[in-house]
Amino acid sequence: MPSRSVGRSVVRKEGRGKVTGAARYIDDLTFPGLIHARTIRSTIPAGEIVDVAFGFDTSGFTLVDYRDIPGRNIVALIDDDQPCLAERLVRHVAEPILLLAHADREALLAADVRIRYREAVPTYDATTSPIAFKTIAIDKGRIDQGFREADVIVEGEYRTGHQEQLYIEPNGVIAVPEHGGVTVYGSMQCPYYVHRALKVLLDLPDDKVRVVQTETGGGFGGKEEYPSMIAGHAALVAIKAQRPVKLVYDRVEDMLATTKRHPAVIRHRTGVKRDGTLTAIDIDAVIDGGAYATLSAVVLSRGVIHATGPYRCDHIRIRGRATMTNTPPNGAFRGFGAPQTQFAAEVHMDRIAEALGIDPVRIREINALRPGDRTATGQRLGRDCSALAVLRETVKRTDFKRKWRAYARLKASRCLKASRYKEGGSRGIGLSLFFHGAGFTGGGEVKLASKASLALTDRGARILVASTEIGQGTRTMHAQIVADTLGVPYDCVDVNAADTGQVPDSGPTVASRTCMVVGRILQRCAEDMRERLGRLTPREYLKRHGPLVITREYERPTDMAWDDNSYRGDAYGTYGWACDVAEIEVDRETWEVKPIAFTTVHEIGKAIHPVLALGQIEGGSAQGLGYALLEEVVMRDGRMANAQLTNYIIPTTLDTPPIDVVILENPYKHGPFGAKGVGEMPIDGPAPAAINALRNAGFDLREIPATPERVMVSEKQEPRHALHA
Amino acid sequence: MHPFSYEKVTNEHEALERARLGKATFVAGGTTLVDLMKLNVEVPTALVDINGLPLNQIEDRSDGSIRIGALVRNGDLAHDSRIQSRYRVLSQAILAGASAQLRNMATTGGNLMQRTRCYYFRDPVYPCNKRQPGAGCAAMDGYNRIHAILGASDTCIATHPSDMAVALVALDASVHIRAANGERVVPIMEFHLLPGDTPDRETVIRPGELITYVTLPSGPFGPRSAYVKLRDRASYEFALASAAVALQLEGTTVRSARVALGGVATKPWRALEAEQVLTGAAANKATFLNAADAALTGAVPRRHNAYKIELAKRAVVRALADALTH
Ligand SMILES: Cc1cc2nc3c(=O)[nH]c(=O)nc-3n(C[C@H](O)[C@H](O)[C@H](O)COP(=O)(O)OP(=O)(O)OC[C@H]3O[C@@H](n4cnc5c(N)ncnc54)[C@H](O)[C@@H]3O)c2cc1C
Ligand code: SF4
Repeated sequence: MPSRSVGRSVVRKEGRGKVTGAARYIDDLTFPGLIHARTIRSTIPAGEIVDVAFGFDTSGFTLVDYRDIPGRNIVALIDDDQPCLAERLVRHVAEPILLLAHADREALLAADVRIRYREAVPTYDATTSPIAFKTIAIDKGRIDQGFREADVIVEGEYRTGHQEQLYIEPNGVIAVPEHGGVTVYGSMQCPYYVHRALKVLLDLPDDKVRVVQTETGGGFGGKEEYPSMIAGHAALVAIKAQRPVKLVYDRVEDMLATTKRHPAVIRHRTGVKRDGTLTAIDIDAVIDGGAYATLSAVVLSRGVIHATGPYRCDHIRIRGRATMTNTPPNGAFRGFGAPQTQFAAEVHMDRIAEALGIDPVRIREINALRPGDRTATGQRLGRDCSALAVLRETVKRTDFKRKWRAYARLKASRCLKASRYKEGGSRGIGLSLFFHGAGFTGGGEVKLASKASLALTDRGARILVASTEIGQGTRTMHAQIVADTLGVPYDCVDVNAADTGQVPDSGPTVASRTCMVVGRILQRCAEDMRERLGRLTPREYLKRHGPLVITREYERPTDMAWDDNSYRGDAYGTYGWACDVAEIEVDRETWEVKPIAFTTVHEIGKAIHPVLALGQIEGGSAQGLGYALLEEVVMRDGRMANAQLTNYIIPTTLDTPPIDVVILENPYKHGPFGAKGVGEMPIDGPAPAAINALRNAGFDLREIPATPERVMVSEKQEPRHALHA
Repeated sequence: MHPFSYEKVTNEHEALERARLGKATFVAGGTTLVDLMKLNVEVPTALVDINGLPLNQIEDRSDGSIRIGALVRNGDLAHDSRIQSRYRVLSQAILAGASAQLRNMATTGGNLMQRTRCYYFRDPVYPCNKRQPGAGCAAMDGYNRIHAILGASDTCIATHPSDMAVALVALDASVHIRAANGERVVPIMEFHLLPGDTPDRETVIRPGELITYVTLPSGPFGPRSAYVKLRDRASYEFALASAAVALQLEGTTVRSARVALGGVATKPWRALEAEQVLTGAAANKATFLNAADAALTGAVPRRHNAYKIELAKRAVVRALADALTH
């Protein structure tokens, strides 16, 4: 029996290739006769195209517009409202209108296309926008009664901005016309999304479209839906030119044109008893979808389901709206709606505690969800509900209560001094408690009906899934699950490329589902294979019986139910639970905010690969601190004005405090080896923890990022009672 | 990026010759020029690589001044022991900028010549008088939180991004310029130009002229100087506001002082008003607060950058306190 690999940090499958430089990313690849493509985009936020003029000699160029589309002119996703190339109407800046291609990149870049428009009045305010892509209502109990039971009502409005995914490798693809169809290679998360979009766009059958993921330099959701667009563009040109076509964005184009995190405005009105018990939670959330629906409906769905935070309450009303604005469509980004809504929930929770004069830990202890409790959608939580466990562990580890009181006292005494510039630094410590559902929301996994295959090889097995390795460790983690289930060494399990010509559709690599959902399907394949092998080694089996490939499909756990109409039931198979504590220092002379310590306790069922899990948690925490303190997309007339890394800033190592990560394991009975998801959860907590730390230091912010000018005007006048605390 | 020719030169004469041809530009560390070329903001037809010129020394002169070659790397300059002990503010200013890797490439001349980080300047889609005279200014009514509150004109409100140059202004350095027809020396305060009606003209350098040296006079300040930079993140980041100061004390009284501001003005900004307040006054916090107010008296905020006035004042106070206690 080989030693188990699950729970050990084995060498990652593609690690050697990456560190030696052997790994090939899309821009490293070329094909004979390859030409380059360029996208001509709208320069106005709303209006109509009047005419297009070419200020160059077009001979030698391939020109493509919507008339060259053989199938339907849409990027097939959910609502199918987004054209692949604009026909007449333009709904946002950077909307693709035309494609040019040429063998010589200089000639391509020099080509001058002039488009005349009739401009219309754009909409920028999501809260007043008349067009809603999706509205969701969640009701539990009777909200009026909840407010009648309350002693105190606390209200608040919270705002979050865009955030750019900023994967290291920009979006890019190569399309090769072949066998009467097309093969697309590219940097992506979801090969089968691209596959489906291409079939619709090009009007081709399944077997004429092949999509192959190349080594991918990060995604964070930014390569969930957008690759369907860029792949469509490259494929259209390749088919028209009958030559391979490369289309790789540079950083500026990638930031201008591709999706970002939805900005949100979230209002809370909460009823609470004197003793801290929540009696009513009333939430109104608006997210800015941008110009087309893309994934806004499902982002909103995850957002509203997480909007209460991990708290129990009998009377809940949540209203969510994803609306249209004339800005580039917003889309998937790690967390998928939950970072926005839990930011609001957790900052609000500290304000509730303050209103009652109790501490932030106590208010959460009283209200945290426990096993057997029901969530806003009525989901009864199992024994793996760990809200209290992560809270207590984090509080103990950080000496939270003592520090929180000490900093609050310091703040209060400082307020008595009336000096013009307040001396020295202020410290604050803040906490956030949060949860994250793993897998697709509601009936999503049933609809996806994902499949995974395992092929027996001489030495062990080969994994066949469309789940992509985008830096997070998919191949390694899947191989570990299969190796241990099958009883072969980790090294004897190979992973096939995510190539739709070879692997079944195991669903998109999103929603923290790749381990818990796809890993479980693979585990079932391996269990069956183990049984088929009996006492034979793989080699013996192949000799005696010939090839063996086992394919299994997702099976919904029998204890799960969901109703999409009433939004009631088991929204997710299960949830991960986490608690963050951020300690910050604010320079009271200069309003510089420096995170100095960060602790996070994550309960994720089982860490299949502890180092990779840790990497996800550290990376997500750093990205969350960027969201809280630095990252600001400047939208000017519907266009990102700071689409360069010199002006859109993310944390450097110097801006990231040491991150103390603790992983707790409370197994989920339907997860492989008990595993839940871990990819997204880490980004839900840092922003509210940091903003609550600022509150503890005397700065009352309700909006992120906390730039110096926002911190400057947020200094709180202390209520008298705090002086005696 | 557009096509261009590239040639490496080995002496000043050759450099000046080559620079006369077409739209030629010198390249030193290349850390900012190449970025701007990629963004199609700068479109030279020829690059003249001056890294082979013998201008990479830091030399003590007999009059007590220090002469810095235009090709001395920012990192070498900041870590030079003479600079650290006698011109602390300069060392601090350089180390507050960019990153270690960039500083290893960036040169003294290139740093003085670097261009604004205004969003609209760096993105050819927007109208920008600096990039294209007469086109208009997208920042004026646009999002302008990073823009200037001092020295702006109706045509341009972009800040000068350099940290090093702010310290040089405080230290009263001078810049040596070689032209085909001879050499001239320009005080640093006159080197950078206010935007006025010609924001495209940023320095007194004319096309094809070469910076050869920067000299630092032997000042009376010794180690009592400091640079404080306030910015959005801890590294790779330009100043929202910064202050370079130097103090000469007589007992507890300020005998003379220098105050310069960065990140808030269209050129590295000498705050003479603040220096007047300081001169002859007691070296204490109250004086520093008055000096900070004086430094910002002429400030004109725009829609999104009013916070910079207060921020810059605080940088001044902090820097003076630091210089005092050092
Ligand atoms: C990510 C990043 C962050 C940065 N952060 C900061 C910061 O915080 N603070 C700061 O001050 N700077 C910062 N910088 C700017 C950096 O200091 C400059 O890029 C650098 O100093 C330029 O020097 P260089 O030698 O590389 O110039 P180059 O890029 O080679 O040239 C720049 C310009 O100077 C001209 N030039 C160069 N040498 C001469 C000469 N001898 N005579 C005449 N003309 C000449 C060139 O023709 C060109 O126009 C940053 C840059 C980057 C990329
Ligand atoms: S501020 Fe100056 S650099 Fe910026 S857009 Fe206006 S003119 Fe151009």
